[in-house]
Amino acid sequence: MSSLPRRIIKETQRLMQEPVPGINAIPDENNARYFHVIVTGPNDSPFEGGVFKLELFLPEDYPMSAPKVRFITKIYHPNIDRLGRICLDVLKDKWSPALQIRTILLSIQALLSAPNPDDPLANDVAELWKVNEAEAIRNAREWTQKYAVED
Amino acid sequence: MEQFEQLLTCCVCLDRYRIPKLLPCQHSFCMEPCMEGLVDYVRRQVKCPECRAEHRIPYNGVQAFPTNVTLQRFLELHIEITGELPDPTSGQIMERCGVCSEKAYLSHCAHCEKKICEDCKSAHMDILRREITRFNSQIRRSLHRLQDSLAIIEKNTMSLQTNAISVTEEIDEIYQRITKAIKDRSDQLKGEIDRYLAVELRNLTTLKENLDLEITNIGSNCDIVDKYMNETVEWDDCELMDTKEIFLKTVEFLRHFEYENNDYSRRVRFLVSIDPNQLVMNLATFGDLNIAPHSTPGGSVSSSHLAPPSGLQPGLMRSKSDHRLATQFRQQEERGGYNDEPVLGGRKFGERPQRSATTANSDRYGEGSRYGRSDYDYENDYENESTGGRTGKSSRFRSRFVRSHQNDDSDTEQQQQQRQQELKERKERVLDSEDVSRGQLSGIIRLSDCSRVVQRLADIGKEKKSDKKSDAACAAQAAVQAAIQNQKAAMQRQQQKQSAAAADEDELARQKRKSVAAGAAGAATSSSEAGQEQRPNSERLASLKTTRGGEDSDGSGSNQAAAASSPVRTATAATRAESKPPVAAQVAAVKKTQRSGSSDSSASTESSASSGAAAAAAAVAAAATPSSSQHKAASTARHSSARDSVASSAVPEKKPFVSRFLPQHSNPPSASNGTSDKKKAESSSSSEEETSSESESESEPETKPKASTGSTTASKSAPSSASSSTTAATSAGSSSTSGSSYRDRLEARRASRDDTALASRSSYATPSSSGYGSAGSSSTARTRTVPAPHHASESEDRYGSSSTGTGTGSSYTSRFLNKSKSSAIVTQPSLSTPTASFDEDANGTGDDSDSRYGTGRSRYLAMKERRTRLARSRSSHQFGNEDEDLDEPVSPTTVSPSAYLASRYSGYGSSDLSRSRSSHALKSRDNSPITDRSAGSSRAGALGSSSTDNKDGEALSSWARYLKNKYGSKSSKDTPSGSAGSARDSHAASSTAASSSHAHGTGSSGSGSGRSTASEVSRRLSLGLPLRQANELASSDDDGSKNGLGSPTSPTVAAAVAAAGITGVAGTIPKQVYLRKRQQLFQLGGRGSEPGSFTWPRGLAVGPDNSIVVADSSNHRVQVFDSNGIFVKEFGEYGSGEGEFDCLAGVAVNRIGQYIIADRYNHRIQVLDPQGRFLRAFGSQGTADGKFNYPWGVTTDALGFIYVCDKENHRVQVFQSDGSFVGKFGSCGRGEGQLEHPHYIAVSNTNRVIVSDSNNHRIQIFDVNGKVLSTVGGEGSDDGQFKFPRGVAVDDQGYIFVADSGNNRIQIFNPDGSFLKTFGSWGSGDSEFKGLEGVAIMSNGNILVCDRENHRVQVF
Repeated sequence: MSSLPRRIIKETQRLMQEPVPGINAIPDENNARYFHVIVTGPNDSPFEGGVFKLELFLPEDYPMSAPKVRFITKIYHPNIDRLGRICLDVLKDKWSPALQIRTILLSIQALLSAPNPDDPLANDVAELWKVNEAEAIRNAREWTQKYAVED
Repeated sequence: MEQFEQLLTCCVCLDRYRIPKLLPCQHSFCMEPCMEGLVDYVRRQVKCPECRAEHRIPYNGVQAFPTNVTLQRFLELHIEITGELPDPTSGQIMERCGVCSEKAYLSHCAHCEKKICEDCKSAHMDILRREITRFNSQIRRSLHRLQDSLAIIEKNTMSLQTNAISVTEEIDEIYQRITKAIKDRSDQLKGEIDRYLAVELRNLTTLKENLDLEITNIGSNCDIVDKYMNETVEWDDCELMDTKEIFLKTVEFLRHFEYENNDYSRRVRFLVSIDPNQLVMNLATFGDLNIAPHSTPGGSVSSSHLAPPSGLQPGLMRSKSDHRLATQFRQQEERGGYNDEPVLGGRKFGERPQRSATTANSDRYGEGSRYGRSDYDYENDYENESTGGRTGKSSRFRSRFVRSHQNDDSDTEQQQQQRQQELKERKERVLDSEDVSRGQLSGIIRLSDCSRVVQRLADIGKEKKSDKKSDAACAAQAAVQAAIQNQKAAMQRQQQKQSAAAADEDELARQKRKSVAAGAAGAATSSSEAGQEQRPNSERLASLKTTRGGEDSDGSGSNQAAAASSPVRTATAATRAESKPPVAAQVAAVKKTQRSGSSDSSASTESSASSGAAAAAAAVAAAATPSSSQHKAASTARHSSARDSVASSAVPEKKPFVSRFLPQHSNPPSASNGTSDKKKAESSSSSEEETSSESESESEPETKPKASTGSTTASKSAPSSASSSTTAATSAGSSSTSGSSYRDRLEARRASRDDTALASRSSYATPSSSGYGSAGSSSTARTRTVPAPHHASESEDRYGSSSTGTGTGSSYTSRFLNKSKSSAIVTQPSLSTPTASFDEDANGTGDDSDSRYGTGRSRYLAMKERRTRLARSRSSHQFGNEDEDLDEPVSPTTVSPSAYLASRYSGYGSSDLSRSRSSHALKSRDNSPITDRSAGSSRAGALGSSSTDNKDGEALSSWARYLKNKYGSKSSKDTPSGSAGSARDSHAASSTAASSSHAHGTGSSGSGSGRSTASEVSRRLSLGLPLRQANELASSDDDGSKNGLGSPTSPTVAAAVAAAGITGVAGTIPKQVYLRKRQQLFQLGGRGSEPGSFTWPRGLAVGPDNSIVVADSSNHRVQVFDSNGIFVKEFGEYGSGEGEFDCLAGVAVNRIGQYIIADRYNHRIQVLDPQGRFLRAFGSQGTADGKFNYPWGVTTDALGFIYVCDKENHRVQVFQSDGSFVGKFGSCGRGEGQLEHPHYIAVSNTNRVIVSDSNNHRIQIFDVNGKVLSTVGGEGSDDGQFKFPRGVAVDDQGYIFVADSGNNRIQIFNPDGSFLKTFGSWGSGDSEFKGLEGVAIMSNGNILVCDRENHRVQVF
């Protein structure tokens, strides 16, 4: 394994030193490219109060390609499927090397605030979200309570 | 300000802009690597990371974008304001790294001589650091040997002192006795004379009285007659008649009377039966000092461990990573002595080796040329070196391996350093001062003296955090150094890392002169060094003589002066023993002859093999000696001169030899008395380590028997000594002729010396031309003559043969023979027979070795041999110790020499080295620096071997025995008792010296495996893994197991032994564990379909809870066992539905306990939850992505990716844990990266994907992207080859396990792919296989093996 690019080191340092509120990303002790991420559900969203675990992996050619991010905690969200994969443009084609881990995580947090059922990944959820948003939000709350709230 | 900073930061690399390029969208990015990375080469576009605007790339590439000059100015301004250091890489151009060929800013790496990137460089430095650490620990481990030898030296000093005292006492005693005898005699004679005088006087007086009376009588008669015998007086006739008669009688008396002059003029004459001159002569020479020889000139305290590896032992010594170094080293080795150069090739510590200073880059290292390496070839270099000392240019390799010389400018002051120094020194640069502390023996300088190091340390003190280099280690070591220095003990610690120094003659002479001048300044130090040093004997002698003053040698010295013919000293033991016989004068005479004879003979016998070379030396010595009292100075002078000159006489011939053998002669024969005493002690006993200790050991056991046998011995030894003396004469005669060939011989000798102690003897004798050596060798002779009474004829024969100069073997034999006899015979006659036969064998061997080495040996080999010898000398050191230990108890004394002897021979030939190593191994296995222990251990081995040898020695030829030794485990394996014995042996080894007798008992009880283990170990060691004794031990046992597969019990014992040995050694546990693998722990299953039985099981996996998961293929189920093999559960049945299987093959368990199963005939992968409930399945038959054709092995990695061996599609497919296709690699074929029927797969935690490429009979290792990293094996059944390999597994250390199905064995590979071990064979017994399938490794290192045709799983 070649050593870590300076950028990753810098980003990691900054994440540690100036953590983003509601976001906690800790590199794995064995693999500095693998981060254990905890994102708190944004206020005024059905995910409020939830603590969502994610994994984030910086591929070899990062920052030229996007980090791979996945929800580990189950979440009821139209853009996140049951395997935790996230449908988010900045993780895909809209990735830019100017983006960083923190910006990505912020985007994800924002995605929780603003689900986009028009570009769904979990079709059933998206459907419900479109048809009956209230129920969908209720479901999301339930799931959050069920899976993302730790006692 | 922060925003200002941010503006100057490239958003891609988050660093300061480097050559900011301005995109048309007005965003700037570093040219390299950021902008480069943004380029879409396909569309020749660059997409702005900030605004995602796309821009066409100019024809010339991104560098054609305009540089953002404003930004650049700001950057400069910022630098000015903040004073922040410019980026070190600014202004540099990226190049391809010489190692990883990534584009990066490069700098020169001193390790690999390439321009490489920082990453690689730091990796290399890491390697270096690790190597240094390793060496450090190695040194630490070996350091105690110096301490040991220090202790030995002290002991030897003591013994020497006692020796000297006792000799003095003896001399006094003899003196007194002789004086008394003379006095008595003269008193008696005087008394007789007195008596005689009185008697005679009395007689004369009476005679005188009588005569007086007669005179008066006659006178009165005459008067009376004159007066009265006339007519005046009337006399009757009768009266006249009477008167006439009286007068007649008087006339007659007077006529006849004659004074019997003779009677009374008898003179007393003092008649001396012996010619007084002769007597005086005899008395004058009535005692000589015989200084025991040091049998191994080459030896020094140096450790075989640290001895640089020869070709045979490409060991850890050599920095493995440093190939260049290695090759250079080898070349150098060939060239002859690595000893003749200074440690850093004259460079200063840390200095970059110079090249043409073109590539100057001073900014980083601040001094001078940035580095380079000497390009000129060695020869030039060599010349430079030898001519000019250090001129600042010296080759690089030299600097690494070389031992120091005293350069001209180096002081006589002692310097000390440890070996690691040498390693360290590659990197840092230093000022002038370091020479001051250069170690005299090793040439190692003290790190803490290197100003660079000091600097570094200071730096560390200042800024602790950023020590990029190995300074931390450096600092630690420097601290160690400092401590050592403070202790002042460092002097004794000096290591002779190279076995024998090959200092130039010139230098030697110079040094000697210098050192003589040096005087008492470095006395204490030099004395200690002297012990370890191999100075020419002459030198030593000189120093001895000059300095010894009024010691015991004085009396003998004067005697010598008178005698003018014989060697300097009589060995203590000899004197002692010989002093017993009460016939003073005659004894003296006999002694003298014997002594001279023996000394000569030792020289001659030994050297006669070597064409009387030594004899020549002896002759020279004899010639030199007559100069008697002044000959010390004379000889010294002579020697130095001789050394300087290259005359053709024997003396100068000698010197190259000497110098070559002496690791370092820089040492001054310091003049002070105390020093000299010490030195003497060392020189006589320990300095030539092996020899001395050996001779000591010889002498000591011998003295006892001798004392007991007393006068008979002495008298009986006379004939043999006489014969030997004649021998000596012969050889001496031939010496002049042989002188010319002497050198050649010596070469040969040197080569074979490790085999033949004799050689060392001769070599020893050689330098001793001034007389010391010959005297020294007389101890050998003494050895010989002692047992002679019992075997007079034999020894005589032997001497005779040696006088003819037939071969080394004979003399060699004789020496040992006698020794062994001396031990065996005196107390244990029963032993004598085997010993004798053994000696015969030895004789043969000796010849053999001679022929082997004698002529065709290259110098390279010779060098190696020398090193080997060194190693051996160490071991003999132990022996010496041991013998000393043995001095107390009587019975061991008698046997141990034979054991010792046996051991000597047991490792004969190449295993000489290994034997010594074995003792090391044992020793270090003990993990305690107590010499006694190690002595005991080595002796234990020796005893074991001796007993074995005694047992079967008669029948076996020496070579057979040698072979047996080498592969000796067989014998041990044959007999359980043997292996038990080995266990006991090892036990003995680990117990203290007190257990020596115990060990002895063990040995004699007939255990051969002590030896076998030892020899195995040693062999391993000699094969180049000197560091890992424990491993070696284990591996030796492996060998044993290989040899002794037939007997399943012994391996365990051996393993136990290994385990015993391993205890205390930490660090390489997995390897050890694996190396010990061979013995089945338990097994699961058996044919059947009930729970716990299998029908053709295939895949194996280990769960996160160490459960054993078996794909019970033809029962279409998965069985789970706990780590002890207790059945836990099963799931699955035949079918194609969910949770049903059709001849499942591979099985894997992921991190969260889910089972991933290759459902082979259903062409799918099923994932089951930890309870065995179906979660999902994916795949179907086909060749498209995500489809399978008989999937076989599966595995999963830490991220949950699933790797499937898609067997009939000859590829590996990778899926996410949800079954979505990620990638694939491999296609049918034989090329790299191609697969043919890949069966099993494993992923290491370093993301190396290991695939058993079954039909290509190899293992391929890929990275996660399917790029081939390496390929292991090929078709075959050798180690590291495969036949249809199937199961593969990898542990968390990266060791790879392969089920070599066609060969029915398990092979274990190191993480680097090199072969480590194999075990198993065809069959259905324990540890036998039929049709291997999967393997798996448990976290405790247990290996699970699926033994398909036996329907079981075996656990190792």
